[in-house]
This record gives sequence, structure tokens and C-alpha cells, in this order.
Amino acid sequence: MSKKVAVNIISASKIYAPQKIEDLEEKRIVPKMIIRRRLTRNAKIMLFLADKCAFNGGKIVYASAFGELQSTVGITDAIRNQTQISPTLFQNSVYNSAPSYFSLLNEDKDEIITISSGMKSSLDALKTAALQAVVSNEKVLCVATECLDINNIQEVNNCTTYLEAGAGIVLEVAQDESGAVDMQVLKEEGVIDSLSDLVSLVKMYKNGVRKVFINL
Amino acid sequence: MKAYINAYASDSCVGNTEELMKSIYKQESGITIDISYMPETPVGLGKMQYDDFFETLNSVVATVLEQSNLENFNDTLLIVGSSVGGMQESEEHYFKDKNYKNIDTSRHAISVIAESLEKEFNFCQSRSISTACTSSANALLLAKRLINVGAYKNILVVGADALCYTTVCGFYALSVLSSKACTPFNAEREGMNVAEAVGALLVQNEQTSDSIELVGVGASSDAYHMTNPDPQANGAIASMNNALQDAKLDAQDIDYVNAHGTGTVANDTVEGLGVEKLFKGVYVSSTKAITGHTLGAAAAIEAIISCEVIKKGVIPAQAHLTDAQNKNINIPTQNITQDIKYVISNSFAFGGNNTSLIFGGVN
Repeated sequence: MSKKVAVNIISASKIYAPQKIEDLEEKRIVPKMIIRRRLTRNAKIMLFLADKCAFNGGKIVYASAFGELQSTVGITDAIRNQTQISPTLFQNSVYNSAPSYFSLLNEDKDEIITISSGMKSSLDALKTAALQAVVSNEKVLCVATECLDINNIQEVNNCTTYLEAGAGIVLEVAQDESGAVDMQVLKEEGVIDSLSDLVSLVKMYKNGVRKVFINL
Repeated sequence: MKAYINAYASDSCVGNTEELMKSIYKQESGITIDISYMPETPVGLGKMQYDDFFETLNSVVATVLEQSNLENFNDTLLIVGSSVGGMQESEEHYFKDKNYKNIDTSRHAISVIAESLEKEFNFCQSRSISTACTSSANALLLAKRLINVGAYKNILVVGADALCYTTVCGFYALSVLSSKACTPFNAEREGMNVAEAVGALLVQNEQTSDSIELVGVGASSDAYHMTNPDPQANGAIASMNNALQDAKLDAQDIDYVNAHGTGTVANDTVEGLGVEKLFKGVYVSSTKAITGHTLGAAAAIEAIISCEVIKKGVIPAQAHLTDAQNKNINIPTQNITQDIKYVISNSFAFGGNNTSLIFGGVN
């Protein structure tokens, strides 16, 4: 038993860099410095992608396989060194930090779901976003980011050449299935697998595809 | 299609589901005072007995399979809710080696729980959710919706979190830990107890002789603050209202509110206000006084408690209550025996993430 739904892709965007993504337009997107300073890198990338997708509120499905590594490392270092843990680091360490900052900044009181399904995180996020679109009949932002730019990451990183990356789309349920196509695998060399399904969809969108089938 | 909870099992600091309910009704807390995480600072924690957390996980899921009408999980979707995943193991390596070299990244991630269970039980698919303390509530929310739209017949929802330094010391940094067993809704309360647990519930599209219906689910975001709840309780009320709307019920239909009730000053004040504004005289209590706050597993554990409360027809008293802060809500000081049709269970998390679940008796 499985269900396939046709969804319209309304907008799509992706970004990645070998280390730090240089211009996320933070000052324009988050004018208040006091909030901007607290944002995690995942949050900054997520806000950038939401902006590029012209999404300013509604249901969000966010995905990340490794979540807020920088905050987590800061906490474990503080524990190891027996120094005080920053409360901001701890509040930022949860996997739903990035979409929660979007919610705060945009006064978005709608549902947020965060998926962390390892290397299939963005695929599961797409399935979840399609479900959310089916049950609500609303537009849904589906976005995934990874920020692995921490000291000594080379000790464990064998999965990506881009330490910061993200991809996002806005989707809605299609009124009919005509013209809908199955998702294709359009991998981007070096991008972490946890983002690959969303990256593929963004590339399909850039190639002119506007309607796809997603298995719930 | 309707979603029915047809089997469940759990393990927590007070033991399995039978022991959990005995402890709740006898008001015997599983919280112990611990100095292993912070030698200078005793804190109350809910610690389980295990050699390997993953063996406990397998054992709980095996118990659900045994209780169920299924021969195996080959046609079952697994949805896991967890806030820390494999953090316990990563910390062990990092503190010992002072580098990342021996950390297996696939065993660090949230998905390690689902991947480990998939290997053991061969589920048809899995997905993992991590929205901090609402993780398994959102897993149940998605399970209901997937059943409702006819996408799956069988979904196993697992909530699982093990204790680790990051959460114990992190909550200490926020000054919200209690040095004793927590006292939810009490006027003088110190804070919460971090705890660990595994809870698993089989959600199916067919009713059995022992079903509890997952009648309604609702969620919302506070859009207020990363850790503090909206003081007007608008987010909490929206989440409960959305669940009521999904269930096609009115507030007066609810017999019992199984509160998020962490025992922190901020949570209990706001949740109490939300219950006061939305309900008139409904019984409300928090079972975290017995189990502690099991973070990503909490909603799965409290979903099981809600099912048991309906089946047994006994609303649990609020343990450790001496003087309620909010006198306008109905917090029972003794167990209440009555016919219970509907229970609402709340979960609230960092980021202002709110989820409410409504359970109903059907037999």
C-alpha cells in the first residue's frame, strides 16, 4: 500500500560552497542585528532559500541529517573543558532551530516538521511536505540544509566536498496528474546525499519541469 | 480512514508499561538524584536500567510485534521521533579520544534509531523526525495523517531518547533543572528532570478488540521565542484547538488533559493558562513527576499513558502537588475513577513547536 500524489513545484532554489557560503544576504533578510547574531548557519541558509522561493509563511517541512553541528560541538567542548555552556548554544542545538527562526522572524504560527532521516533526509522531507500539502490544500515549503563547517571535520567527513549546502522548493497539490513526471536522479557531484533528492528536484525545476509525482 | 492504536510497549525509569501505570497511580516517582553528569551539582534524573540502549529499543519493539495482529513488520512504515539520536555514543568517543576519529557519523545522527530497527525488523520504509521535545508527537501526527489519506495500513511510531551530557548539562545551563523529583503545577517548583525512555505504538487503519482511536491531531508554532513559551498561551491553545477541530470535538468533550507539565516555571504557568482559557473544569495532570521529561520520547510515552488511562477509566492524580500555582484549573490530588471517552495529550518544544494529540475509546 502506497500513495502517489502529483504536486506542482511553484519555486525552487539551491546553494552550496566548499566551506562557508559567502553571501546569504543576511542584512537584508534579517535587518535586526540582535536576532541576526543568534542565527545558526543552517538558519541563515534556510532563510536565504525561503526568500529565494518567495515563501513568507505557512507550513514548513525542514530536513537535515546532522542538524546544528556547530552548536553541538560548542556544547560538548564546553563540557569537555569544564567551562560554562552558553544557553544560546543549547537552544540552537535542536534540529528544528532553523525553521523556528523563520517562524519567529516571519510571525509564522503554522506547523513545522523537521525530518532527520540520514542520507534520505530530503526525500523523506519531500514525502512529508507532499502529505502536508494533501491534508491542508496549502502551499508548503520543503527545505533541507547541512552545515558541516566545524574544526577538524576532515576527521570524519567522507561524504561531501561542500561543507555548507541547501536546497528548497515550494510545492502544492496539483489539481490533476496531467503532465506530471516521476522524480529523476540528477545528482550534483560532491553534494551530500542527504540533500540529493531536493537538489534533483531543483534541477528539474530549472530544466522546466513544474509537476512531479511524489510517493507518500 | 480512521487511525487506531492497536498495540504498544514502553520502557522508562519506572520500567515497562504495566510498571509505569502502577507507579503513576501509586505516585511513586522513578527519579533518582544523580551526580554522575555534574559531580558538583546533584540533579534529579530519570535513568533506565540497560547495558545497551539499542537492545532496550529492540526489546520494546519486539513486544509490540508480539502483541499485534502482524506476523512481521515487512508491510509497516516506521516513524521514529528522537531529539538526540546517537549522541550518547558520540559523546563517549569524543570525551575519551578528544577528537572525532572514532565517531561513526551514521551512528551519531538521529536516524541511527530507525536504521538500527530496520536492520532488526525489516520495516518496508522508515523516516525520522526531530523537533526536540515534540518529536514523537509529530511522528504520531504524521502517522494519523498517512493512515487518513490511505497511504499506509500499518505504521509503527517509536519515540526514543537516551540520557546524554549534552541534554543534562544543556538544560542546567538554562537553569531549569530540579535537584529532586519535579513538582509540576506546584506554586513552588524548581524545574524539570531530564530522563530517558523508549515508547512504541502500532497505528493501523483497522479497529481491533483492544483499539484506542487516535481521534485528532493538531500543531502550531508560537513564533515568540526560541525557548520561552508565548506567555498568553496562544500557541498552546492553537495546537489544542487544531486537534479538537481535527477530531470534530468541543473542548467540553475532553475528560482529561495529560499535560506537557515539565515542572519548569515557564511551561507550567503557560500551559495552565492555556488549559484554563480553553477548558472548563477538565482534569489536568502531568505524569512527568513520575517519568521525568523523556524529551523526544515523551509524547510516545504519554500517548501510551493516555491509552491506558482510557482503558482503565482512572485519571491519575498529580504527584508531588502540595499547593497549585493556578487555582483555576482542576488538578486532581487523588486518582479519579470515571468513564473516560477522550484524552488530550500536549507536547511543547524549543522553537515554540506545539503538538496536541487526542485519543478516544472505541470499544
